[in-house]
Amino acid sequence: MRMDLILELLDVPGQLVSVLEPIGGLGTNLVTVIHQRDMKNKRGMIPVQITLEGERNNLNKVIEKFKELNVSILEIDGIVQKENISTILIGHIVDKDIRDTTDKINELKGVYVNSFDIKLDGEDKSSALISIEADIGNKKLIFDRIKQIALEKDLLMINEV
Amino acid sequence: MKECKICIIGFGAVGQGVAQAISLKKDIIKDKYNTNLKVVAVADSSSSVVSQKGLDEELLVETKELNGNLKDYPEHSGKLTGMEILETVDYDCLIEATPTNIKNGEPARSLTLKAFDDGKDVVTSNKGHLALNFKELMDAADKNNVDFKFEATVGGAMPIINFVEETLSSCEIESIIGILNGTTNYILSRMTSEGSSYINTLNESQELGIAETDPTQDVEGIDAACKTVILANAILGIDATYSDVEVEGISKITSEAINLAKKEGYLIKLIGEVSQDALKVSPRLVKQGSAYDLNGTLNMATVKTDLAGDVTVVGKGAGSLETASAMITDLINIIKNK
Repeated sequence: MRMDLILELLDVPGQLVSVLEPIGGLGTNLVTVIHQRDMKNKRGMIPVQITLEGERNNLNKVIEKFKELNVSILEIDGIVQKENISTILIGHIVDKDIRDTTDKINELKGVYVNSFDIKLDGEDKSSALISIEADIGNKKLIFDRIKQIALEKDLLMINEV
Repeated sequence: MKECKICIIGFGAVGQGVAQAISLKKDIIKDKYNTNLKVVAVADSSSSVVSQKGLDEELLVETKELNGNLKDYPEHSGKLTGMEILETVDYDCLIEATPTNIKNGEPARSLTLKAFDDGKDVVTSNKGHLALNFKELMDAADKNNVDFKFEATVGGAMPIINFVEETLSSCEIESIIGILNGTTNYILSRMTSEGSSYINTLNESQELGIAETDPTQDVEGIDAACKTVILANAILGIDATYSDVEVEGISKITSEAINLAKKEGYLIKLIGEVSQDALKVSPRLVKQGSAYDLNGTLNMATVKTDLAGDVTVVGKGAGSLETASAMITDLINIIKNK
């Protein structure tokens, strides 16, 4: 059977080879690779489309291997493996170390802060909308982390329903 | 022909609405359920009237509107308190419409327990005693084998408690998520459409009579939290009380936050959430165009069920006759079961 994957790679030499290397060793064959170095996404990463052929068990082993190697998988057979999550924070966001807030969210595995849109209302309090991309199924984990940050920094958190 | 003698304790907007609704519907109830509704006693905080022959509902409302109390009503009995009425008057059902008291649930709690002890049915619009003492009240009603109905406490005219119990009785309820306070929904809707600040919009709502002079109960989420805890107990069987609800109101919401949300296709709403994992009231992001995209003073709730999927109800969350409609429905349900 065949399996289509969309991976996301860093734009540094050797990345593609390191990802393709384990495929043969796990009893699967590479059918196609579409790799366009000049097509970066908004995180500055390069999406790579690959098609593999092999037994289901072996294909699953490749997925496991990619996860082990921390290779970001965007889609498996057309099914999106990432979701976008938005949240709003209100309070002294800038004074309470905005870099640290972002880092603490990014620390979570498979979670990436896409944008941090901040508006000052003329006073010292500000409002920010954070857009996060994350592996499917991590919503609660992310909201728990942001809740913890909001408590520590006395921020009001407004989550999605 | 059966007879149902009614005491109305608490004669503010809701109590008067009940009197009006009885006046409007008593002939239909007589025809359909073979029961004659008779208001035998009414009390507000400073006056009361009692007549075993029955009171004139329209005249009660007119008198209250004219003077702010019932002292000029022909059968005015002066000093009888609500409790004294329950001790002395022969009645079948207490319509309890005193103001919500979230500190100790009084006088609603004592009045309700007294009625139960005397074997009387109770219909209430009061959230305080239910949010604080739900289990105590239900146990007392069960012990005395009387009916206790409180549809009006959550969402006014929006059907939810009876709806889930009767219409969705085949389903297991996983969660209820909804907009349970009309005043805050109005304020957030106006902030969204006008781009105005929280404080200016609150002032406008107070001028229009939508928000109270002291808006704390609404804007700090207390009212919605009471409703959340009632739903948790009544529908999900969670033995919770008001202090178990995690509450955050809307007073910290900025117009900038609303604009940021709008840009991404979201709205900010004050949402009550009840499930086995969560019991909270907080401002949340909801998708524009979703069931939660509801403006003005309306209330809504989405009930997540195992068999029927999501079911959403919408209705007027406040108002004199609207709230009374839920209480009269409760009363009819009691009459039907007799």
